[in-house]
Amino acid sequence: MLARSKPLTVQVLLVAFTALPALPLSAADSTPAGNEPGLPYVYTKWEQITTKDGLPNDHIFAIKADPTRDCVWIGTEDGLACYDKKTRKIRSWKEKDGLPWRVVSGIDVDPKTGDVWLALFGGGLARFSAGRFDHYHQLNSGLVNDVVYGVAVIGDEVWCATTAGASRHNVVKDKWNIYTEQNAPMEEIWNYGVSARDGKVFLSVWGSGILEFDLATERWKHYLDPDGEMEIELYRDDGVVHVITTGVSYVDKTLWVSTYFGACRYDGRNWRGFFAQEGGTPSDFNNAARGRSAHECWYCTDKGIGAIVDFETDTWVVYTMDPDTREGIAEVRRAGKILKTLRFKQGVPHNYVLWAEFDGNDVWVGTSKGLARAIGEGYYPRLRPLDTQTAGSGSRP
Amino acid sequence: MKRRSIAFCALMCLPIMARQHCFAAMEGPAKEPIYIGSKACGSCHDGPQMGFQYSKWHLSAHAKAYATLSLPQSKEITKLSGITEEPYKAKMCLGCHTTAAEAENWERGEGFHLEDGLQCEACHGPGSEYATADVMQDRMKAMAAGLKMPSKDDCYPCHRTKGSHEAVLKTQPFKLDAAWEAIAHPTPKASQSGSDSGSAKSDSASSQFKFIGVMKCAACHTGPMFNFQFSKWRLSKHAEAWAVLGTPKGLQIAKERGVNGNPQEAHQCLKCHSTAADKDASARLDTFDVRDGVQCEACHGPGSEYSTEAIMRDKAGARQNGLWTVDRKVCLQCHQEQGSTGFDYEKAVEKIAHPTKPPKAEVAEEPRYKNPLNLCLTPDNKQLWVTCEASASVAIVDTATQSKVAEIAVGGQPNDVCFSPDGRKAFVSNRLDDSVSVIDVASQKVISTIEVGDEPHGVLVDPLGKLLYVLNTSIDSISVIDIETLREIKRLSASRSPWSLAISPDGELMLVTHALSRFVPDRTPSMSEVTVIDVKRAVVNDRIVLPAANLLQGVAWHPSGEYAAITLLRTKNLVPMTRINRGWTITNGIGIIWRDGTTDQVLLDQNNLYFPDPCDVSITPDGKYALITSSSTDRVGVVDLEKLVEMLRSSSAYDRKRVIPNHLGKSSLFFVKSIDVPACPRGIAVSKDGSTAYVASMLDDSVTAIDLAKLEAVRRIDLGGAKEPTKRRRGEKLFHNASITFRRQFSCSTCHPDGHIDNIVYDIEDDGIGMGPIDNRTLRGINDMAPYKWIGINPSLRRQCGPRLAVFITRIQPFTSEQLDDLHYYLCTIPRPPNRYRKLGEDLTEAQRRGKKIFERTHKNDGTPIPVNNRCITCHPPPLYTDGRIHNVGTKFPYDRDGKFDSPQLLNIYDSAPYLHNGIAWTLEEIWTKYNPYDEHGVTNDMTKDQLNDLIEYLKTL
Repeated sequence: MLARSKPLTVQVLLVAFTALPALPLSAADSTPAGNEPGLPYVYTKWEQITTKDGLPNDHIFAIKADPTRDCVWIGTEDGLACYDKKTRKIRSWKEKDGLPWRVVSGIDVDPKTGDVWLALFGGGLARFSAGRFDHYHQLNSGLVNDVVYGVAVIGDEVWCATTAGASRHNVVKDKWNIYTEQNAPMEEIWNYGVSARDGKVFLSVWGSGILEFDLATERWKHYLDPDGEMEIELYRDDGVVHVITTGVSYVDKTLWVSTYFGACRYDGRNWRGFFAQEGGTPSDFNNAARGRSAHECWYCTDKGIGAIVDFETDTWVVYTMDPDTREGIAEVRRAGKILKTLRFKQGVPHNYVLWAEFDGNDVWVGTSKGLARAIGEGYYPRLRPLDTQTAGSGSRP
Repeated sequence: MKRRSIAFCALMCLPIMARQHCFAAMEGPAKEPIYIGSKACGSCHDGPQMGFQYSKWHLSAHAKAYATLSLPQSKEITKLSGITEEPYKAKMCLGCHTTAAEAENWERGEGFHLEDGLQCEACHGPGSEYATADVMQDRMKAMAAGLKMPSKDDCYPCHRTKGSHEAVLKTQPFKLDAAWEAIAHPTPKASQSGSDSGSAKSDSASSQFKFIGVMKCAACHTGPMFNFQFSKWRLSKHAEAWAVLGTPKGLQIAKERGVNGNPQEAHQCLKCHSTAADKDASARLDTFDVRDGVQCEACHGPGSEYSTEAIMRDKAGARQNGLWTVDRKVCLQCHQEQGSTGFDYEKAVEKIAHPTKPPKAEVAEEPRYKNPLNLCLTPDNKQLWVTCEASASVAIVDTATQSKVAEIAVGGQPNDVCFSPDGRKAFVSNRLDDSVSVIDVASQKVISTIEVGDEPHGVLVDPLGKLLYVLNTSIDSISVIDIETLREIKRLSASRSPWSLAISPDGELMLVTHALSRFVPDRTPSMSEVTVIDVKRAVVNDRIVLPAANLLQGVAWHPSGEYAAITLLRTKNLVPMTRINRGWTITNGIGIIWRDGTTDQVLLDQNNLYFPDPCDVSITPDGKYALITSSSTDRVGVVDLEKLVEMLRSSSAYDRKRVIPNHLGKSSLFFVKSIDVPACPRGIAVSKDGSTAYVASMLDDSVTAIDLAKLEAVRRIDLGGAKEPTKRRRGEKLFHNASITFRRQFSCSTCHPDGHIDNIVYDIEDDGIGMGPIDNRTLRGINDMAPYKWIGINPSLRRQCGPRLAVFITRIQPFTSEQLDDLHYYLCTIPRPPNRYRKLGEDLTEAQRRGKKIFERTHKNDGTPIPVNNRCITCHPPPLYTDGRIHNVGTKFPYDRDGKFDSPQLLNIYDSAPYLHNGIAWTLEEIWTKYNPYDEHGVTNDMTKDQLNDLIEYLKTL
């Protein structure tokens, strides 16, 4: 049999996927909001979806909104699900239904063909096309490794972040490329996440920071932590906060990066780091970053969601679950201070958050114990002065 | 070696030495050897001291190998090899008729010319790194630098028995030992002592006109545009004139005439055995080489000033710039002077005549057939357009007069045609060219050509006229083309071999049929797909599976929109083929695809009369009848759909699923009539008013009009093909006719649609108990791939298709000798499409280049040598990429009798999945990742994943 490329410790990821949060978020008293510069929209209306509602499994690893079909695809530890937003019904597929592998760790939808691409953790890659699963793995295709964390579709290409490098598959030409330390500036080959947009592909690589690939020029750019492998930030805002990156999201020409040691943002000129000790994000242990715009990104942490909703004013909304009452909590924070705390009947189903997905005004959140939909009635981006805020019940902080 | 020789040699080696020096200074990575050409070798390897090695080669068939590709026989050979390109452009031909045909451009040095045929480096390896005097003095050093010393076995890849060559050249079997002896070119042990040869004298070159050499002329004067003028010269005595001086006879004559030394250096000899012998070096440009004998410039004058294209197009200008007028005097200078008393000028001129255009008489017109395949009525029903595969055209029939009124040339092997809803544009898929011709209907002109995927078949425009759908049969996808911009906007995933398509009457759903089943596990029935496309969104929204069915081809919607009918086969390939006499090995029928995605299958066969190769279906506008063509029994079957639906609806769910799909007695309930039509009916279309059906008869070059009121064929519309049946045509008819099988159950084409594969594993052995199941192989380019059968026991196609076929497969009277000849000829000429991953002359990509190194590697990644017998290239040597022998590569399965199998050709390997003898490997990767655990099928287990990817990228280019 073929020699495998560098074997990596799969257990690390499993731990990352399944470990429970160490500390519950305290229900801090609310602090009066400042007069300026306004307040963000806060999601207070949440819908929780679990196995009781038809999910094949409660460990949610991936979510992808599919507006064309008016549905949401959900990847779990044991099966794929599709939530029909009209009927609010869930259809699911397990291995017995043809799903090639039980663990669905990443999902993307080809906007042109409607085909759903699935990253299978340990099982390679699958295309789910009108009911047919096409299975690509390292034994039957050019895929570099079967432990696939993330998948992204751009043009006619499907990119995969795998534990042994990145794979690039041109679906039209049926051509595979592999990127590893042999032909890319990949100091490690453990690719955790992939984000593709506007002719660029970004890879978050465990131990190798962020790699940018330009599809037009076929050239790489490499973003490393200038502080080396130190787990502190010696010099602020000098680059990626740590080379062990866990996720990347590229939107509006802005790069949002998550690591296990903090998070950061890059606008093409300046870097900015985010750390729990500064009072914005609830944790430095970030599982994923999901950028909504150049101003807003939701970081999925082990202590809830830290959503920076207005970068310029360093305004955050932190969503957690009170482990005692199971109520939802939202804290509006700015520059390290808590401006407002809201409590509502239900919020994120669990504080160990693995993924978030924007779906119009709504946001879907995947946790290690269920899926949640934050309903964005009256949603508005960034901030609004109090007197002009939308009067939606879920939105007024 | 004489002083002059040494000087000459040194001069010739200068560029090489300069390069060596350059490389030596680099001290970088390992040098990549390049081909330097025979003349560089000949600069040392000639003359009496070296046994006139270069001259010997120059006079050999090897040296003329490229030139022979210009001969008419070569064209015939390519035809019999299934090659669609001209011989001098076909990789397969060039592989044995030139050197370094597979190499990239950068691998060929400036002095290398493909036109020099099979040169020294074809056997001894590219010479740049060893072809210097200091390296060549030490054999071991030279071999370390890349010099190969070939064995007799190295001759075999080219000199193996090739059916195409045998058939045309009528040659005796190749005798390797004799040939080895004939081309032997040992270096004499003792060098001859210096002697006076009367060195060539030279005039001082005051003229502005310089000699440029024949290879410069060859840059233009080659190929059919110039009537192969270079090749004609290369095959002439003139080209050999210098080399013959080194033969024993040449030496003898020279001696008799008082030349004591090397005649190749004697002016007395050279003045007629070479060009510009009386001129000194300043009269020759670097590109000139005296060893090319009597070259173009010997008669036409030194070419430096007239040889540019611009001047050559102006006769007077060319003369002013030194182009001589050739007359009797020019020839007689040598031919009379040398005492050629019998020299007949007129005859000689006729013999060497090389006009730019060939005399008309030489061009033998072959009968041209049409092979109409599919047809489509214009939206106003005034015209019927018919794709003609063999003539690369679309024939237009006027439906009022029912006669052909026009014909439009399109791309290669046109397959299907459709119209935009407004009838202004027509679209024709060209299977050979991977393109769609866009035709302006009013002017009947091709206005554009769109590139699509591999081997496009069905085409159809959506009801709004915005999108064109093209089925890429060989790459399993559907191109969606924006009609306004004529650009492909997306490509949808199909199943295997998408074939035909039809849109529902409400315009919402499009169904796509597939000729090949999805891949299925070993010993499992077929699972074929009908793809459903949401026309409004242009995305696939369902994939309907028909169990145990294959070769889904024609499709038509019922006007009610409740269901569509498709043609299908139900091949019981898990049953030994010897069971054909029980009447149910291959059965034929139609499928009903209900609007809700459920399906039914019914057979059109009856116990005593089958309905083989159902190809296309059309439904009358009133929804009463489905008309289905049976291409191999020359019939159109009429199915009463009301009766069929009634039968299905009155049957239990169990019967519909388990009984009816295999029931040979049911068709009598709904199969109401057979209408005889001319040979090989394929496409069928019904007029909007329901009065007439039109059927394209592929092997009759005609369209038949059927009166639907009477259900009778009423008129044959001739499309104008050749009338006389050629040998190929007779064979083609046999190939497509089911009369060769018991109860007419199937034809050759059933298992080899488009001459290719049906993706099915059969048990065709005589044991009748399921031993030795084997994957069906392509017929494209089969002639040169002997031996046949996966176990390699049939030495010839004739034997493969002879009585053996009757015993094991067809179970009926075998072909007569004449029939077998015809069929054999046709099989040989089934074309192989050009490789889609690397066109001739294209450089390899980086990945392909790395893959090539792996394919040719001799050591594992850790440096361990790979035994010769376990290297890829040993069993798959170019240009056919098979050694024609059987090998045990560790792929014996429980049902196999023996583990030794024929090493298959690798040409166009990408389009003939599944792989291995029993089709167990669905992809090329699986050959090594799953079925080579012990490195018996090449040493591959040390390879990394990216190395395997590179290897596969390279394999696709072969």
